[in-house]
Amino acid sequence: MLMEQELMTIKNNAVSLILDAGSEKELQEIKLQFLGKSGALTVALKEITKLPQESRPEIGKLANEVKKIIEESIENATQNFKSKKIEKIKKIDVTEPGIRPALGHLHLVTQAIEEITTIFEKIGFTRVSYPEIEYDWYAFEALNFPENHPARDDWETFFIDQTPDPKKGPILLTPHTSSGQIREMEKQVALQKQHGNDISIRMLNIAKTYRRQSDASHVPMFHQFETLVVGKDISITHLKGVLDYFVKSYFGESRKSRIRPYHFQFTEPSFETDVSCGVCNGKGCKLCKEGWLELGGAGMVHPNVLQNCGLDPKKYKGFASGWGVERVLTMKEGLKLDDIRMLYSNNIEFLEQF
Amino acid sequence: MNIKILDSWLKEYLKTKATAKDIAKYMSLSSVSIERIEQHNDDRLYDIEVTTNRPDLMSVVGLAREAGAVLPQSGIDAAFLPPTIEKKQKTKEDLPLKIINDNSLVYRVCAVVMDVTIKKSSPTITERLEASDIRSLNNVIDITNYVMRTIGHPAHVFDYDRIAGHTLKIRESIRGEMITTLDNKSYTLPGGDIIAEDGDGNIVDLLGIMGLENSVVTDDTKRIIFFINNNNPHKIRKTSMGLGIRTEAAQMNEKMIDAELAMDALLFGIDSYKEHADAKIVSEIFDIYPKPYKTKRVSVKLAHIQQVIGIPLPLKEAESTLKKLGFGVEISDEVITASVPSFRASDIDIPEDLIEEIARVYGYHNLPSILPPANFIEPVNFGANKFYWEQRVKNSMKYWGFDEVYTYPMVSESMYEAPSSEAVRLANPLGEDFVYMRTTLVPSLLKVMQQNTKAKEMRVFEIANVYYKSENTLPNEKKVFAGLIKKPHVSFFEIKGLIEQVALDLGIPKITCSSLDSSGLETSILLDKKSLGTIEILDEDLINFELNFETLVSHATLHKTYTPIAKHPPIVEDISVIIDDSVTSETIIKTIKETDRLVTSVTLLDRYQDTRTFHITYQDPEKNLTSKDVSEVRAAIIESLTKNFQAVIK
Repeated sequence: MLMEQELMTIKNNAVSLILDAGSEKELQEIKLQFLGKSGALTVALKEITKLPQESRPEIGKLANEVKKIIEESIENATQNFKSKKIEKIKKIDVTEPGIRPALGHLHLVTQAIEEITTIFEKIGFTRVSYPEIEYDWYAFEALNFPENHPARDDWETFFIDQTPDPKKGPILLTPHTSSGQIREMEKQVALQKQHGNDISIRMLNIAKTYRRQSDASHVPMFHQFETLVVGKDISITHLKGVLDYFVKSYFGESRKSRIRPYHFQFTEPSFETDVSCGVCNGKGCKLCKEGWLELGGAGMVHPNVLQNCGLDPKKYKGFASGWGVERVLTMKEGLKLDDIRMLYSNNIEFLEQF
Repeated sequence: MNIKILDSWLKEYLKTKATAKDIAKYMSLSSVSIERIEQHNDDRLYDIEVTTNRPDLMSVVGLAREAGAVLPQSGIDAAFLPPTIEKKQKTKEDLPLKIINDNSLVYRVCAVVMDVTIKKSSPTITERLEASDIRSLNNVIDITNYVMRTIGHPAHVFDYDRIAGHTLKIRESIRGEMITTLDNKSYTLPGGDIIAEDGDGNIVDLLGIMGLENSVVTDDTKRIIFFINNNNPHKIRKTSMGLGIRTEAAQMNEKMIDAELAMDALLFGIDSYKEHADAKIVSEIFDIYPKPYKTKRVSVKLAHIQQVIGIPLPLKEAESTLKKLGFGVEISDEVITASVPSFRASDIDIPEDLIEEIARVYGYHNLPSILPPANFIEPVNFGANKFYWEQRVKNSMKYWGFDEVYTYPMVSESMYEAPSSEAVRLANPLGEDFVYMRTTLVPSLLKVMQQNTKAKEMRVFEIANVYYKSENTLPNEKKVFAGLIKKPHVSFFEIKGLIEQVALDLGIPKITCSSLDSSGLETSILLDKKSLGTIEILDEDLINFELNFETLVSHATLHKTYTPIAKHPPIVEDISVIIDDSVTSETIIKTIKETDRLVTSVTLLDRYQDTRTFHITYQDPEKNLTSKDVSEVRAAIIESLTKNFQAVIK
């Protein structure tokens, strides 16, 4: 009888503790306290073996019932806690603001550069970078600029206060990414001398460029992206192909492109490239010029330029384009950024809009 | 340079039924960009952008000639009507005029003296000029502008009676000489400018740019010198830009204007003065032109044309295009030899120049768009691609809550932090704020912070070049990665942790920090024992870092190695110790780790007052650890810490 009483006491203690338990964690502790390896019930059960043989089945049965009751009570109480929690969850106001992970902002220019890079890489262009501070040779002389060209004077280009190189001339801040054309062709010619392969270039040069200017549409530092394609059978039709692909990728499939005559020193023929206006769909409006927006310059690489880089203009032809990153950004529909200086104001309120 | 021309003026020299819209469309596609068409009373006004190589198109006659060649290509009838110019002008009197020229400054002078009557211009001239944004003053002055716009050569007029000795001597100015222009502004000449002085040595003209107050036509003028000067364009540009006088004439004269046009301009002007100013010629007609234009010839093969354009364009088409544009053409054996007209002489030199003429008139819009054949594509190598890593770091920073900024690499002297003898300095900066090429991004980031006073908290970063002077070669450009956190009580470990995560994401398992420098505010970050950059504590709320991005990228790798996942569970426990502050946690962790091979990981869990708690993981790859195994190692750890650092174990 003592054993029976003991089992009942265990049961009563357990049930009352379970009823008083304040959390699921407490219930787990109670479970250990009674049903664990050294729990009260487990210890008591071990005592059963010491009882006389005849009373064992009855006591054993009782012990199992006690065990079952404790387990069920714990289970019920646990379920009870769980449903209370769910009740609590059901009461949340889902219209309250979310708890967000950190999210900063990449500069608009970085976003544009990433897009441009992806677009050109898809058609096999390789991105390169060359010096921002260059010799006159790369920025002007090898690009066929005549000695007295306005771009070479102090009003348009920044010069570095350093003695000019006897061969490569004064040192300056690159006014365009076209200096990369010369660097790239020189590099490929040097590689060709080692390996003897035919020259085939698909270059994308995106870099900072500098001009002595500052107003709503001009800043002293800006970015350009330059393409250069050189091979044996490159013609104007290929330039048109790349232009068309870029315009449809960057601005949208409904946009059209065109090239028209223009003048640059380092290309012949030279083109201005236009994109149809996304606001009026090419009909002509305040924002565009008779339905078109100017994208930037392009042209067939001038034979003097090829020659200056050690390429035979009879064997190789090429085309190049140099367009403004800020320009294509502000040409995108809907951005409505009318003062390019905002990009470099570094006003956090501005940066965090994008 | 943009010019504005009325449709009715253009059509005086162009016979066509084309609408203004058609003219704008096809001229833009094949010749010169007509950017806008504006309604102007009953007329249309073209706003035209003329490129610097085509000064011949800065005139109504030049544009009409082009339109006559371009429009028929698109099926629109059009014919150029050249101006009628009376070549034989009769002169009655022989008033004296002496012109002394310097042929290195002025390539051609055409001049004549006329009696005139000053009055208002005719309504047509006034309307045409004012629509072109040229102010109408009186008939005598207006005709100079009218000649410039019609024929394409700038013209000038003096009051004959205000020129002492009736002598004009053209010479270079000497630095410091003073002039007063006709708009009553005074200038000190930089020297080397093209000027004319009269018989008394007074400067009476700043040639090709603007007339001077002392020789200009007034309401009382009775006799004029009508003067056409074809100038050295480089001298004109230098003077015009240097003095900031950007007249229409200066902007034309700084391009290579066709000297052959000078006499046409003079004769056309004489006819205009006769018609509108009751002019009579009272001197001989001067023409000082020692080196007249010699026709140049350029040849191009048909195959070459077809290769560049990319289609099999017929020879006949090339031939007829060049003829319409004013070239003489000879053909033999599929080679075109073109005689270049004088008005295109400055622009046509090589076969490609002819190809451009042929291709544009054929119409670039009529050519197909084809992607270039992919004969060879350079293989992609992400691990070696610095742009890939740069974008990856930028994206990480974005998702860790940083805003990216782009600041100017040119900085003021106060923001330049290296010795000025080592500076990469601009020779012609745009103001004092942009004089030096920076050697660090940090001052620029601090400036961003100062400009955003409203922001209580701020996390910004930039990846950009810095520049170091190199003797006898280009400056050394180095890409750096800098960032700044402004936040109340910002922790050093926020920046350290950030850099650790950047490194880890680049496949770099470990970077270390040297102890703070003597000022106690700056620490060096080391990678492979080499300096990677610094963390700088500026004050309690402000910390920045700057890393050599190229060093970082040179260690970056996409290489991955699989380590088998342990089969046997670890045992973890925490040990709290009191050890003197002079012993770094890094040293303690290293000591614990080196105690036994079963210690697989040790981290600092907590630091409270003088107690540091370390979180230790024990694991054996071969078997399950028993509490006995662990207690032996623990005892060894405690012994080691006590012996080495006099640790008190809690």
